[in-house]
Amino acid sequence: MLTPGERERYDRQMMIREIGQEGQERLKRSRVAIAGAGGLGSPIAIYLTAAGIGMIRLIDHDQVALSNLNRQILHWEEDVGRKKVESARTKLRNLNSEVKIEAIDEMITEGNVSQLVDGCDVIVDAMDNLPTRYVLNRCAIEKKMPFFHGAVTGFEGRVMTVIPGETACLRCMYRGPVPQEKFPVIGVAPAVIGMIQATEVIKYLGGIGKLLTNRLLIYDGLRITFSEFTVTKNPNCDHCGPSIIPSLSPSGKRER
Amino acid sequence: MAVKVNVHATHRQFTNGLEVVPIEGKTVGECLNYLIKQFPGMEKALFAKKDKLLNVVEVYINHTSAYPDELAKPVKDGDEIHLVVMLAGG
Repeated sequence: MLTPGERERYDRQMMIREIGQEGQERLKRSRVAIAGAGGLGSPIAIYLTAAGIGMIRLIDHDQVALSNLNRQILHWEEDVGRKKVESARTKLRNLNSEVKIEAIDEMITEGNVSQLVDGCDVIVDAMDNLPTRYVLNRCAIEKKMPFFHGAVTGFEGRVMTVIPGETACLRCMYRGPVPQEKFPVIGVAPAVIGMIQATEVIKYLGGIGKLLTNRLLIYDGLRITFSEFTVTKNPNCDHCGPSIIPSLSPSGKRER
Repeated sequence: MAVKVNVHATHRQFTNGLEVVPIEGKTVGECLNYLIKQFPGMEKALFAKKDKLLNVVEVYINHTSAYPDELAKPVKDGDEIHLVVMLAGG
């Protein structure tokens, strides 16, 4: 049931045939975990909050730094030094007080990931490194939670949606560890990628549209081109292959 | 076989800015060797060592993933190879 305030707030999107009242109520019942409150997490959290997701759980261990402000638009100059999840919660609550915001100040590891996303319907990848992405991917597969992958560098980005048990996952094309580096990026890139991820989340929760499943979408901002590539579920994938028994590394360290 | 290779944006510095390079080869591996003969800078961009692609490099044939064993995958006349670099930022 929507309150009169909600009917007014979401009036324009409820006018969309694919959403309507039923779709809006579905969004209101949904619980979304966003792993990361940075370049990707900021636009994703803002637009999912604006759209009326029932509960958003933001997970990030970092503090706001000046060098974040070229792209992490949830955070402002006055927030430098503040915990990102707290800075985020303030803005998101001011945007839409109807949405429950859980601000989780934790670093995601193999040891705690399952508990961190417990109770949510989906996981959004807003990370800044591959090892933690794989931790999230494996957890999503084990818990059968749809996983919305996104990544950026420079003016470029990529997006793919993972439905555990049905589609290719992030690990299906794994070949080995890659060196971790500080990456170059300008705000407009995670903005575009984050928007596609948020669109996918809304579509999934609303049961509408065609998802980016088994489809890797690559965006080149220098030319404004989108290229789409078909990927397939790998039967030998060490995350989603049928013969794999899931296990956590005993040390709880980040997966290599 | 006359194949086109699409070079990733960050590698075009090694191909004189060319995005699409016409290539000859019957497999992806042959095509990449042909590419490297023309543009030697591409070797370090794509390979960790002989016959082993860097872990960040992805190969697509006609917009479909060529994983696994990318280098052994056959290609025919008119095929298009895309060389893509995996991104990790956010």
